[in-house]
Amino acid sequence: MTMLESLLVVLPELILTLGATDLLLVAAFSNKPDLGRRVSIYAVLMLIACGLALLGPAGNGGAVFGGLYYADAFSTFSKVLIYASAAIAILMAPRFFDRRGEMRPEYPILILLSALGMGFMVSSGDLMMLYIGLEMQSLAAYVLASFMRQDTRSAEAGLKYFVLGALASGILLYGVSLIYGFTGTTSYQGIGAAMASGLSMGELFGLVFVLAGLAFKISAVPFHMWTPDVYEGAPTPVTAFFATAPKIAAVALAIRVMFDALAPATDAWQQIVIFVALASIALGAVAAIGQSNVKRLLAYSSINNIGFALIGIAAGTQAGVAATLSYMAIYVVMTLGSFLCVLQMRDAQGRPVEDIASLAGLSKSQPALAAAFAIFMFSLAGIPPLLGFWGKFLVFDAAVAAGLFPLAVIGIALSVIGAYYYLRIIKTIYFDDAAAPYAPANSVVENGLIAVTAATVSPLGYLLVPFLALTAGNAAQALF
Amino acid sequence: MPETIAVDLAEYLPILLFLGIALLLSTAFVILPMIVARFTGASKPYANKLTEYECGFPAFEDSRGQFDVRFYLVAILFIIFDLEVAFLFPWAVTVFDMGWVAWGAMMVFLAELAIGLAYAWKVGALEWE
Repeated sequence: MTMLESLLVVLPELILTLGATDLLLVAAFSNKPDLGRRVSIYAVLMLIACGLALLGPAGNGGAVFGGLYYADAFSTFSKVLIYASAAIAILMAPRFFDRRGEMRPEYPILILLSALGMGFMVSSGDLMMLYIGLEMQSLAAYVLASFMRQDTRSAEAGLKYFVLGALASGILLYGVSLIYGFTGTTSYQGIGAAMASGLSMGELFGLVFVLAGLAFKISAVPFHMWTPDVYEGAPTPVTAFFATAPKIAAVALAIRVMFDALAPATDAWQQIVIFVALASIALGAVAAIGQSNVKRLLAYSSINNIGFALIGIAAGTQAGVAATLSYMAIYVVMTLGSFLCVLQMRDAQGRPVEDIASLAGLSKSQPALAAAFAIFMFSLAGIPPLLGFWGKFLVFDAAVAAGLFPLAVIGIALSVIGAYYYLRIIKTIYFDDAAAPYAPANSVVENGLIAVTAATVSPLGYLLVPFLALTAGNAAQALF
Repeated sequence: MPETIAVDLAEYLPILLFLGIALLLSTAFVILPMIVARFTGASKPYANKLTEYECGFPAFEDSRGQFDVRFYLVAILFIIFDLEVAFLFPWAVTVFDMGWVAWGAMMVFLAELAIGLAYAWKVGALEWE
């Protein structure tokens, strides 16, 4: 394969690299007014261009650069979700930051750089590539978390995320070094071949450390402790971004590592994934009950949801991977919708409010927003006929098909407990005595996005299910 | 039948390891400082002892106090160019064996660093005032 052909396969990454560096110079040298919005528009156009590039060789080019980078249906599926959530995270930001005069052009640029790292993560075919992608994504994310640098909570979130993220990277890297030491290679294929003859003690330790590092990145129990603080402190659009794109990238990365590199050690990682999945679902469900801050609650909700997604991986089958991918796609739509609704929570002066109690009476002052909020909460709780139910059904179906009955039964029981706090929000919105009304939700872009996500999550979304099943199935097949 | 009842406990080693490491890491960060504090001297605190020493900053005071971050900025920029040189040395030894692709890759890397420097320069990160 010539150099040019290889470069065509990494076209989305090239667009993002050139685009982000280009916009960085624009951000520094341009004197135009309202630069933040202009750069945002260019950034969204670039993400769309990356999505279109996936139609070409970048979507199915196979392995390039000596197996460092894979472009297959799996990476394409993940990248579409990543680029879409990154674009929405950019679109929902300007009004939030404008109020404090902090809509700096660096925000969309950092999102682009983070998306670039995620593209490398989901396409990685080598532990080195995995680490570079992960760090690119994380470093941009640390800065994003503390983007409102005048705000102490935001600065604290950034610092906390950075210190704990560095620790997790260290753990992951230690595992990578062990695996390299005991198998003599960093390529996924090579590791798979080396482990086929049996798992040595050193490889097992490496596997455990790699999984611990990845568990941190997807904020799965017992490595979730950073999530509520960072989600609460980070600016809301950044929180929405953290809850979607990096989660998809890290879950996709974990799937690729487990089913590509560690396939011979399925028995070993399966029990870890089962434990992590159940612990995440349980903690996410129980710890969220006492929360009064809506962003903190959504943080626990994301821990809970990651647990469900991991059930599909725990099944260890092709159907399980397809179920996890479908689950993540649905989860992303629900989460973006929820955060778009949270963005509309502003008091009469336009200051953001995060208190759940302030939602009371929303059904009277803004019935449309209240209905959208209710749809997202019902869907996150997995109540049919909303689309959130379908995701949960798929992962439990895969777990049962793989013979993991206890896992499915405990998971379903815990999801009932988890439904409690979602329903509590709906109860506050519809049945509590009215609190001070919010400022009217008048952003066309944000209202439009809420309408689209709510329609997707509503029973209308089942029209998309055949398409989702086909693409997720193809994506999963690429790994087997 | 005894064969089916007997469980090979070794099968559960991975999960045991994982739990052990999870427990170790999370307790270590809580307990280590306490142990270190216990061993590093008798606990007889008085006002002067409790103040921060060397380059530490007072932990509990008005957060609007003067705090010069410029040293950090310069240090970070220094690290970038420090690493650049660290990459350049092994590259320089082998570039003639690896051909134009290697040359191009390093030039792209240098160009990206230059863009980063131009950005930092323009936004005023290098100015000491």
